[in-house]
Amino acid sequence: MTEDLKIKHFLERIEKIEEAMITVATGDFSVRLETPIEDEFTTVEAGINLMIEDLSEELRQREEREKELREKLSTIEKQKQTILQQQEDLMELSSPVIKIWDDVLVLPVIGTVDSRRAQIMMENLLQSIVDSGCTMAILDITGVLRIDTQVANHLIKTVEAVRLLGGECIISGISPAIAQTIVQLGIDLSAIKTKANLQEGMRYAFQRSNLQVRSTSSDNDNLDEI
Amino acid sequence: MKYDPDEIKVSRRIPIIKYGEFLIVSIQVDMHDRLAMELQTQILEEITKTNARGVLIDISVLDTVDSYIGRMLYGMATMASIMDAAVVIVGMQPAVAITLVELGLDMPGVLTALNIEQASRMLRKKMKNKK
Repeated sequence: MTEDLKIKHFLERIEKIEEAMITVATGDFSVRLETPIEDEFTTVEAGINLMIEDLSEELRQREEREKELREKLSTIEKQKQTILQQQEDLMELSSPVIKIWDDVLVLPVIGTVDSRRAQIMMENLLQSIVDSGCTMAILDITGVLRIDTQVANHLIKTVEAVRLLGGECIISGISPAIAQTIVQLGIDLSAIKTKANLQEGMRYAFQRSNLQVRSTSSDNDNLDEI
Repeated sequence: MKYDPDEIKVSRRIPIIKYGEFLIVSIQVDMHDRLAMELQTQILEEITKTNARGVLIDISVLDTVDSYIGRMLYGMATMASIMDAAVVIVGMQPAVAITLVELGLDMPGVLTALNIEQASRMLRKKMKNKK
């Protein structure tokens, strides 16, 4: 009789443990196994309680980490968008075509030129020439520090395209470093008119458009003619 | 190749106008290969007939030019120059210029101008220098 009772009691305990396990498996970590009396199952139950606690703690930490990572990702995404936006703004700002005289346009190039920027510069310059009807264009590259084959090619193409439109394009302000690169790369610029600096470029452009710049001061006998 | 009567009709629509010592050709239809060839022959014949010293080819309304048309224009300029007539290509669109340069057809030695006014001034100056 006592044996039967004992077995019944054990079965009940096992059933309780089983129930707790199922609850945990469904995601509820709040269950704990209560033991009113100490017997053979107490240690097992304590072990299970500990396991549930560990599991819930682990899960909580994982969720926290995931949240953190998600936040970081969204910040990075936002930053990426800002960078792209700024890049676009810079593109627009960085190729201004300035009309300096009736027949003369200047395109000052400053900073790094990649092939995309070179392409935009070329399109801008050609469109401005057609819109303004100016025949002389000066491509001033004083502010360019480095150049590669592709960009040099773009410059040559720009000059050729301007000629096809019916204008004339000269390049001014080639720095020593760029001159070195161009020759080392084996790029032939002999078909292109190059001038030392923007001043010389403008002097040439004025000459081509039959213009003269002279000093107007009366006490200056030797006129600064170009 | 069969001759399409419609094509010939279209080709007659490109007028070659004599203006003083110059011929003015304004291309206002989309060029296709046969039309381009015919135009080339017509212009060269007209040069001998009228004794023209210069030809102004206005392509300001052409949005697209393929390599064939580009070569034709270049060829025509060279041919006319050995017939002692200068060819000026007038009013090329930026997109067309970019295409031609990308195709490697940069037409060395061919005169170009932004508009007819500039082109005729250019030709007059050239003629004055010759005399």
